[in-house]
Amino acid sequence: MDTAGLLPLVIAVPLLGAAVLVAGGRRLPRIVTDALGCAFAAAPAALALLVLARVAGGGAGPYAVEWVGGWHLAGGEGVGIVLVADPLGAGLAALVSVLVVAVLAYSWHYFEEPPRRHGGAFTALILLFQAGMCGFALTGDLFNAFVFFELMGVVAYALTGYRVEESRPLHGALSFGIVNSLGGYCMLLGITLLYARTGELGLAQIGRALDGRAPDGLVLAAFVLVATGLLVKAAAVPFHFWLPDAHAVAPTPVCMLLSGVMVELGVYGVARVYWTVFSGPGGVPHPDLTRALLVIGTLTALLGALMCWRQRHIKRLLAFSTVAHTGLFLTGVAVLSPEGVSGTALYVLGHAGVKAALFGCVGVLLDRYASVDEHELYGRAGELPVTGVLFTVGGLALSGLPPFGTGLGKALAEEAAGQAAGWLPALFVLVSAVTGGAVLRVALRVFAGAGRPPRAAEDGPETTGEAEPETGGRLRRVPVPMLAVPAALLAGALSVGVLPGVAATAERAGRLFTDARGYRAAVLDGRPVAAPAAVAQHWPTTGILLGLLSTALAAALAALAVWRPARTGATALTAPVRRLQSGHIGDYVAWLVVGMALLTALTATGLR
Amino acid sequence: MSPRGRLGLFLAGAAVVAALFTVACLGLPPFGGAHHPYGDRAVRAAVRHHTSNAIASVNFDQRALDTLGEETILFSAVLGAVVLLRQTADERRHTPAPAAVRPPIRRFGLLMLPVALAVGLYVVAHGQLSPGGGFQGGVVVATALHLLYIAADYRALERVRPLRPYEIGEAVGEAAYVITGLAAVLAGSAFLANVLPYGTFATLSSGGTVPLLNAAVGMEVACGVVVLLAQFLDQAVQIEGADGGGSDDDGPRGPGRRERA
Repeated sequence: MDTAGLLPLVIAVPLLGAAVLVAGGRRLPRIVTDALGCAFAAAPAALALLVLARVAGGGAGPYAVEWVGGWHLAGGEGVGIVLVADPLGAGLAALVSVLVVAVLAYSWHYFEEPPRRHGGAFTALILLFQAGMCGFALTGDLFNAFVFFELMGVVAYALTGYRVEESRPLHGALSFGIVNSLGGYCMLLGITLLYARTGELGLAQIGRALDGRAPDGLVLAAFVLVATGLLVKAAAVPFHFWLPDAHAVAPTPVCMLLSGVMVELGVYGVARVYWTVFSGPGGVPHPDLTRALLVIGTLTALLGALMCWRQRHIKRLLAFSTVAHTGLFLTGVAVLSPEGVSGTALYVLGHAGVKAALFGCVGVLLDRYASVDEHELYGRAGELPVTGVLFTVGGLALSGLPPFGTGLGKALAEEAAGQAAGWLPALFVLVSAVTGGAVLRVALRVFAGAGRPPRAAEDGPETTGEAEPETGGRLRRVPVPMLAVPAALLAGALSVGVLPGVAATAERAGRLFTDARGYRAAVLDGRPVAAPAAVAQHWPTTGILLGLLSTALAAALAALAVWRPARTGATALTAPVRRLQSGHIGDYVAWLVVGMALLTALTATGLR
Repeated sequence: MSPRGRLGLFLAGAAVVAALFTVACLGLPPFGGAHHPYGDRAVRAAVRHHTSNAIASVNFDQRALDTLGEETILFSAVLGAVVLLRQTADERRHTPAPAAVRPPIRRFGLLMLPVALAVGLYVVAHGQLSPGGGFQGGVVVATALHLLYIAADYRALERVRPLRPYEIGEAVGEAAYVITGLAAVLAGSAFLANVLPYGTFATLSSGGTVPLLNAAVGMEVACGVVVLLAQFLDQAVQIEGADGGGSDDDGPRGPGRRERA
């Protein structure tokens, strides 16, 4: 079968698996549903990797274009939906699928018991999540992207609230659901504006139609609305409030997917829609987009890092670190250069492995000690050396230590960002150091019992981390998959930085991704686009040094926090910022509207 | 944040967004124009495939992948509701008492049930010919069954609605859509391609795969809505929390009375 024909299968196979599990889940024993789930997730993973290998390897060309239902364009016009795999889209679909397989392996026998009379429901939901995310990564149609956006959302709300025995998961799922649905409505409204103007729904078609005339208020409004929906998914400030509330309470395997890939898909969506639809003369001018994303990205990175440092609930800490890194990803995309995109792609790839591994380690703590509170767990996890080592390595990788993929991605992204504004590399170093430092601080306290026991709680009960274990009872012995999967994920993050082929593919993916004309030619004119020649990617020397610097800073911060805890009024200083995360959904909605106004203000100058 | 602060923040942001949206609406094409680029193409394509309801052609043929996604959203939402509303370890289930229903209501409900059921099935079956289709007809069919809850009581509803077949039916509807799409691949065409003969225009068998996909969606929606409503009804009527109270806090206590609330 040709490469393009494989694309729908990547979406269809997990859907079929979910239907099989829902129909047969009650009758089948746990081991069979788990194995079926893994098989139905692994098959599209293999397909996505095959597609990636083919579009990245040249030969048939860098774009695989599939018109679903055979509704090809006739005379440049059509009525159908197109799926497009360029190396970046195919790579994301492969990342999603591989991570889903890892998560299913991690949660092998994980939960106490499947819901009564509904064995296989959890696995089915994960498969539906996989289909939604792969569809979002592979579609070349804006409305179709919205459909998969909603599918991801609906599944993620249910997965977040999965542990209904407690009230906090339901509250987290509720604010996740409401804020994301509002984002979805914004996106739909933006799509209708674009459709009213152009009569098209395909990304390439809309982009080509828009370029026929000068941009006006309608185009700007459409961009703001669509970008709002995607930035909510990406958890960019001030749309980010749902994320920590949801990640702190979602089951650990779900956190691995939410933080590892779903949030990043929001960043991907912003970049994809901008490049295919709005990057031409009829869209949003490049300087305006750069300004908007740089402001939002910087705010997101700084606020995320600050809040990350101030957490003692380890899952919330990791959630805020995801917010901070999303800010860096947005910054890497904001500079609108191929190098920025390819650096960010590598960063996302490395981050997915590292963050999922860290969540996996926290899952072990949760199931053994029924707590994810840094202070309460002080010195108690010394008996888990393997978990401790994995967690520490994860912290070092998060802070950008070469030769991890996070280090390479950070090095390339900050180099690209530095060409746009000289101070941006400092932001990358600072945010990596603070988030990595927070993780290392936890590692020192929890696994090594270093320093003095933390003082009695000065925080309210809402920020501490007592929780019910997700397994039947407290774990006595850590199951092998719960350690093997984080180890494999960290090895994967390492290989991203070490294998030269990965970086070379990302470099080409970045150049193809930012070539709007080539994308439109491949999709609309069916013209084979020559694959750009591969350029060997090297670790930039400055990048290595800055990576070592941020790692050293992270270690220093962690050591300082543990052995010389500050007695200054830092708590009072950050209190107003922390109060923003109030848990009140009305606040979050107000901030969402403010975010739209901010986006408008940052891009409106391009009108005249 | 104080309510006043929240409102102020919201209004400040909303003012900017409202201004932007007003400007956007001024740029919309005027009403009553003759320029409908997608509409014209879609109708031509629908006629080419002998589907007299152009909307059905867009839903189940031209943009069938969107509909697969939408069907899956409903499927996921139902599965999510099943998971979230499940009976937890500290909740117990009791049998609702039979309820007295006034004879006029009972007669009306029993009279309307077959009518509503027939209308629903008609709407599903004629999806490719006239307005309606699997989504709309499926909801009507599911609603028809619940007339029994109004005309009789919860136990009567449970007798015609053993949940298990409906759960399977829902999954089969979802799978049937995917398998129809995959069958086109096996037939050597594209995923979800309309590979069947298009039939005679404006007859029940016209439209190729459109009636099949339509029926798959109808089955999924009808069964899905039954399962979904069952979760909420279960929660309201049958499941009690650990404290002996029900899940609704302000209704009158006691299973028999609460059931009708």
